[in-house]
Amino acid sequence: MKKSLLAIALLAAAFGTATPLMAIAKDISLLNVSYDPTRELYQDFNNAFSKYWLAKTGDKVTVKGSHGGSGKQARAIIDGLDADVATLALAYDVDQLSEKGKLIPKDWQKRLPHNSSPYTSTIVLLVRKGNPKNIKDWDDLIKPGVSVITPNPKTSGGARWNYLAAWAYAQKKNGGDEAKTKEFVNKLFKNVPVLDTGARGSTTTFVERGIGDVLLAWENEAFLAQKELGVGKFEIVVPSLSILAEPPVTVVDKFAKKHGTEAVSKAYLEYLYTEEGQEIAAKNYYRPTLASVAKKYEGQFPKVNFVKIDDDFGGWQIAQKKHFSDGGTFDQIYQK
Amino acid sequence: MQFKFTKFATVLLASGIISLPLAAHANDSAELEELRALVQQLDQQVRVLARKGEISNEEAVAAKKTTPVVKASENGFGFESADGKNSIKFKGLLHIDNRNFSDVNGLGSDGKNISGFDFRRIRPTIEGTVFGKYDFRFTPEFGEAKTTSTSSTSGIVDAYIDARFQPSFKVRAGKFRPFVGLERLQSGSDIKFMERSYVSSNILPNRDLGAAIHGDVLEGKLNYSVGVYNGVVDGGDITTVQDTNVDKEYAARIFATPFKDSDSVLAGLGFGLAATHGNFKGLSSASGLPGYKTAGQQSTFFAYTANTVFANGARDRISPQAYYYYGPFGVITEYARVSQDVTNGSISEKLENDAWQIAGSYLLTGEDASFKGVKPKQVFNTDGDGWGAWELVARYQENNIDNAAFSTAGSGAGLRYADPRNNASAAKSWAAGINWYLNQNVKVVLNYEQTSFVGGGQVNSANLATGAFTNITDRPDEKALFTRLQLSY
Repeated sequence: MKKSLLAIALLAAAFGTATPLMAIAKDISLLNVSYDPTRELYQDFNNAFSKYWLAKTGDKVTVKGSHGGSGKQARAIIDGLDADVATLALAYDVDQLSEKGKLIPKDWQKRLPHNSSPYTSTIVLLVRKGNPKNIKDWDDLIKPGVSVITPNPKTSGGARWNYLAAWAYAQKKNGGDEAKTKEFVNKLFKNVPVLDTGARGSTTTFVERGIGDVLLAWENEAFLAQKELGVGKFEIVVPSLSILAEPPVTVVDKFAKKHGTEAVSKAYLEYLYTEEGQEIAAKNYYRPTLASVAKKYEGQFPKVNFVKIDDDFGGWQIAQKKHFSDGGTFDQIYQK
Repeated sequence: MQFKFTKFATVLLASGIISLPLAAHANDSAELEELRALVQQLDQQVRVLARKGEISNEEAVAAKKTTPVVKASENGFGFESADGKNSIKFKGLLHIDNRNFSDVNGLGSDGKNISGFDFRRIRPTIEGTVFGKYDFRFTPEFGEAKTTSTSSTSGIVDAYIDARFQPSFKVRAGKFRPFVGLERLQSGSDIKFMERSYVSSNILPNRDLGAAIHGDVLEGKLNYSVGVYNGVVDGGDITTVQDTNVDKEYAARIFATPFKDSDSVLAGLGFGLAATHGNFKGLSSASGLPGYKTAGQQSTFFAYTANTVFANGARDRISPQAYYYYGPFGVITEYARVSQDVTNGSISEKLENDAWQIAGSYLLTGEDASFKGVKPKQVFNTDGDGWGAWELVARYQENNIDNAAFSTAGSGAGLRYADPRNNASAAKSWAAGINWYLNQNVKVVLNYEQTSFVGGGQVNSANLATGAFTNITDRPDEKALFTRLQLSY
């Protein structure tokens, strides 16, 4: 790199300032810090983007990925993991990059379409072949003897979506009675024998270690388990009500600026919204937001009765404070 | 057991129970189902326990990457970041001495040396590293009472930053031991005697304010340093106040250990050369000239005439130096000469004083000797067999003053640089001692050192008008028996 710079400087000096410098291809490295189950998605997407960017600019882009529980990943970025882009599980974790890390502007969500969520997903129930415990809906998860696998909401974004989906169901069932709702979720978590730190860990627990009767999973993760990790061994049960999960993406401005990768980082995220980006998302079982691609993959995704974080929980800031901050409902339930 | 089972079966047969095959089959089937469920339940419990173990291990591995490490052992106390790039160490050096002198000149109210207990060093130290390569050290001094020092001493012993950009290129700035004297560069906890030799104490700089580039090259076999400092008088320890002298002092040193890390008998050989150069013009408030202390470091055996004699130009020092360690045996030797331009009124002269020492040590308990202290094979234990490490030490050293300092050129006592009636022209000392290392942190030292002087006693007859002194006697021998309890960590 230093030799290249020296060569450029010498050439510039030799030809004088009147001679325009030739465009020289660059090697660019990006770090995408993401949540747990997006490994396969971004593996495919990174390859596609590298080809696209090489063809467009002549620059070679190598994207490295870091995956883990969404909350943990956000904390890692705040603590100095210099991500060019963050593609996390929920908006609250990205908000932290602004509030605690001062790494991105407050209005980050307005910078890209669909509140900066290029794809969506939801929470479904993954059961073993033949559904031996006859699990059909959330009610079945609180029955004695049913073992439920979900990660820890303190560290995992997916787990927080799981928790809120169960909460929304119980609240609706109990006519908004908070005490009964809490009791329902309490019973559910009493049936959880292991709390992994991230969604991929829970998939490992359920699929590879053979623990539990039902996995509360991202829809994309459930499809992956059913179709690729254990073909013919699992079935997806769509509950009567679930939550629309909107995983957001953002350029981490401070670090991208430091690396000189602002433009390519922005292009990387914008490419998620293109037809090709949306196709890759759909093929990895994420629900596309682009109408044409959504229509094409309509049959792949079951119809779900959704609740939404903004409409039913007042947004992530309120939901986080009420349920997942220290002393929130999860702490009250899990410490009992 | 077999008998009981047979009896039980007989009873069952007699009662006709096992003669009902359908009912028995039904019971077996239910039992099997129960057993199957039980096995499945137990299987799940075992799997859950195993998975919890896996998760705990994963969390422990992840936590290890970020959890700071607290350290507390005989090697020191402190803590450091998980990646080891940031650390703090709390160190300390405590010297509790008992010093007994023969009845000779000293600092006591009766004009004699003061005997008694003394805190020679009380030095808590904070040192550490930030960003993996920027070391720092801060050491204040709470000891060194005037029983060992006639001049005020700085409250700060060391305060510096050392940036290790490469092993071959490091930059140190602040107050520290200039890279000059060999024994001076040895830690105060590792020196073999109660006091360093005349070379370190009287000729070469002790501590100075400045900056130096230093490093190790040729696979660590050659150490170099060059530095610029405010400059101190011989044996001086600079204060941290602003330097009043415009000119600075330059120092350079090179030290080779060519057989280091080899199997050669010369593996423990090191030798080098150091030099300093500076200029100083003395003032009535700061003459720029030293006083040389006796081996006991309490009284001065030589000083230039106060208020009339000043430094007046170049001060150059040169110091060849070497050590050799082989098994339990060690030897260290140094020579230092200082050339100093001095003036007294209209007379100026370049005076040359020097000092040298040779010291040997032998570890009776078989440990390997080294420049960096002794680690006993067995620590002293009142309940067990260990007696720690025992070491015999011996040293001979001299400090010689240029005869021209006592010159009678010109006439009259006031024109001399030093008065030979009460300033000796040489101090010659031999010492023997024993060191007991109870463990690597606690040491007991016993030294006997005897010093003879040339001149500086008294004058039997003098002609002050011509400056001719005759029959000057020698200053009485100094006999010192020192003991020390040392704690270092």
